[in-house]
Amino acid sequence: MQRIITVSLNRNAYQLEEMAHARLGSWLLEAAGRLRDNPDRVEILADLEQAVADQCLRRMRNDQTVITLEELEPALNEIGQVELPAEEVTATSAPAAAPASPPLQQVTEGAFVSGVCRGLAHHAGLDVTLVRVVALILLFFTGGGMVLLYLALMLLIPYAPMGTGTGKVRKLPLKSREMVTWLKMKLSAVMS
Amino acid sequence: MSSLRKGLLEFLVLKIVGANSVYVPDILRRLAITEFATQEGTLYPLLSKLRREALVQYEWQESDVGPPRKYYRLTAAGQARLTALNDYWHRLNQTISDLGQAPCNASSL
Repeated sequence: MQRIITVSLNRNAYQLEEMAHARLGSWLLEAAGRLRDNPDRVEILADLEQAVADQCLRRMRNDQTVITLEELEPALNEIGQVELPAEEVTATSAPAAAPASPPLQQVTEGAFVSGVCRGLAHHAGLDVTLVRVVALILLFFTGGGMVLLYLALMLLIPYAPMGTGTGKVRKLPLKSREMVTWLKMKLSAVMS
Repeated sequence: MSSLRKGLLEFLVLKIVGANSVYVPDILRRLAITEFATQEGTLYPLLSKLRREALVQYEWQESDVGPPRKYYRLTAAGQARLTALNDYWHRLNQTISDLGQAPCNASSL
């Protein structure tokens, strides 16, 4: 059994199961991030919302009233994540000088819990196994402290775009990514 | 190859929009059967850039089955850009095929 959440996509109401809602939320947040510096950000997001709605409705059975992950996932695949036109990528992306180390981001691919260890290892140029072993030792000695630290890092360290890392995408990291993204979305809505 | 394709997409979209007034699924369908198959996530940002550059404009048209749709068409500037790109493309084609031929007066170069 899943809770149903009603959302507005391009100013029309749609009902989504909560997992589909979390997935769509994280997808739209990533799209908004990629369009951060785009002057037509609001309009493009509205176009994309409409595309998502159209694609999902097309995939629903006649008697179906709620959008589930089963319709949403292929719909998002068909729409594809936001890609900026060639010239705009260079105009808006970071200066040409490549940073010495990759940015500190959680990497979902290959992660076991949320990708914090993987992200830290990637950033510091360390072996991920080493970072995990240290984290486990700390967990053993600090118990709750380490759990709290991990949860804090989960919330604080931004997520790398999907496809950044290599390795298997496990269920737990994907779910926690969706949950954290959803939580951040709620928080930013409360703040503004 | 993919950056070449990405750069050419703008030209192709101008061409499709230039042929007649279309909405986004029309453009996707036209491109789907070519090696330039693309997705909404790519097309909407591109169309908004072309609109900012005043090369295309859209108008809303009612639809029988859903919400109103944006139909895109070329502006005069867009038409001019398309003509210029077409010329450039032909010249480029000529250059590329010429370079494949054995030079007839290489000594004078």
